[in-house]
Amino acid sequence: MAPAGGFDSLMAAIQGGADSVYFGIDQLNMRARATMNFTIEDLPEISRICKAHGIRSYITLNTIIYDHDLPRARAIVNAAKEHGISAVIASDQAVISYAHSVGVEVHISTQLNVTNFETVRFYSLFADTIVLSRELSLVQVKKITDAIRAEQVKGPSGRLVEIEIFVHGALCMAVSGKCYLSLHTQNSSANRGACVQNCRRKYKVTDQEDGHEFAIENEYIMSAKDLCTVDFLDDVLESGVAVLKIEGRGKGPEYVKTVTQCYREAADAYFAGTYTKESAAEWKYRLENVYNRGFWSGYYLGQKLGEWNDTAGSKARRRKIYLGKGSNYFDKIGVAEFLIESYSLQKGDQILITGPTTGVIETVVKELHTSDGPVERAGKGEFCSIKTDEPVRRNDKLYKLVAAEK
Amino acid sequence: MITVTLQRDKCIGCNYCREHAPQRFTMSKKDGKAVLLNSTDKRGFFVARVHEDELASLEKASGACPVKIIRISGM
Repeated sequence: MAPAGGFDSLMAAIQGGADSVYFGIDQLNMRARATMNFTIEDLPEISRICKAHGIRSYITLNTIIYDHDLPRARAIVNAAKEHGISAVIASDQAVISYAHSVGVEVHISTQLNVTNFETVRFYSLFADTIVLSRELSLVQVKKITDAIRAEQVKGPSGRLVEIEIFVHGALCMAVSGKCYLSLHTQNSSANRGACVQNCRRKYKVTDQEDGHEFAIENEYIMSAKDLCTVDFLDDVLESGVAVLKIEGRGKGPEYVKTVTQCYREAADAYFAGTYTKESAAEWKYRLENVYNRGFWSGYYLGQKLGEWNDTAGSKARRRKIYLGKGSNYFDKIGVAEFLIESYSLQKGDQILITGPTTGVIETVVKELHTSDGPVERAGKGEFCSIKTDEPVRRNDKLYKLVAAEK
Repeated sequence: MITVTLQRDKCIGCNYCREHAPQRFTMSKKDGKAVLLNSTDKRGFFVARVHEDELASLEKASGACPVKIIRISGM
C-alpha cells in the first residue's frame, strides 16, 4: 500500500506495483498542511485511475474530529461512497460509526494505536482492516494475527480481519502523531494533521542560573530515523500481516515509485522462495537513493529506544535538481522536447521526469538535440529534445539526478 | 475602521478563529473552512472592513491561527 500525495505520486505508486493507495482530501487527514493534497473534486478521477489499474483506493480521514468537523467528515464519506473509493481510514469513532452505517468499508488508522487482540476484536465490529500501532514488536504482531485466525475474528465483510503495518518511512518521536510540540509552539496540532515537525530541528540546553547554552552533541535529539524493514521483510511477512504500508504522502513521486518497487519485489521474492539477505541488501541500497533520514528497524525487532538523526533533512545518496518542463512529445519517433529553465542538461546526465499522468521516468541522456542539431549541452532558455521510451506530457517536470554532497 | 483579511484556501479548518471571534467567522458546512462574514473575495483573499470594537477578538483569532492566514490592518 503506497502513499499518493498527488496525481504524479498516484501514477508512481501504480508504476511501482502497489496493490492499493491512500490519500487525503484537503483537511481532516494527517497531512492537512501538505500543499499537494487532493480536493473532493478529484475523487472521480482518482477512482477512475485506480479502477483502470485494478488497485484499491483509500481515503484518510483520521484526525481528531471536533463537532464543527462532523458535516465535512460526513460529506467526505458520502463522496467516497458515491465515487466508489474502496474504503475510509479512520480513527475517530464518529467517522468509524458514520462510515459503517452508510456501508463504506472502514480501516482502523494507526492513530488509534491498536496494540492488542481484544481491541482488534472490538473494532472488527466496524472494520475489515486494522493498522496496528507502529510501536509493537513483530512477536506482538504475530500474537495478534494468530489469535485472529484461532478465534476466527471477522469484519463486517465476513472475511477474517486483515492486519496492516507500516514497513517504511518517517516515524514520530512521540507515539504516532500523539504529540503536543507543534501545538505548544505554533498552535498547530499534529493530531489535526498540521504538525510543523519541531522534532526535526536542532536544540540547545540552557543553564537557567547563568544563561550558558550548550549545544547537544547529537544535535537532532528528537528526530527519529526512518523506518526500513526490507532487510527483515521475511520476518515481517511471517508475522501474518496482510498489508505492508509505506509512509510518505508528503514526499516526491520518485520516492513513491522506488520504495513501492523495492517492497513489491521483496514481497514477491519472499512468496516465490527467492528472498535472500543479499537481495535485501540490494533493495536497501536502492532505498537509500531516495528521501530518507537514515534507517533503523523501528520497534519491530524489540529495540528499547529510538535511534536519532545526526543531520537535517534527507540522507539520500542522490538529489534532484530542477531543470525545466516538457513542451512537446513526438509520438512517432518517441522524442520529448523540454524547455530548460535553470542550470543545464548534458549528454550522459541521469534524469528524472515526473508528471500527473506520466508518473516517474528515470533514464540517461544518450543523445541531445537543440535547434542547432546534436549537441553536448543545452543551457537555460533553450529547447532541447531527448529520446524517451515512454511518452512525456506538456509541463512534466525535468530533473537532473546528482550525487548528494556529504 | 479596520481591515481583516482571510487567505481562505490555506485554511485547515481548526475553528480557533470562530472560537475567538464568532461575530466575524463561521465554519463552512460545505468545505469545512473558515468563512469571514460580510467580506468580499479579492482573488482568494477575503476582505472585510469592520469596527474597532472587534479588534481585540480579531487579534486573538489572528494570533491563534495555526496557518497564519488572518491579517488585521488599518489600526
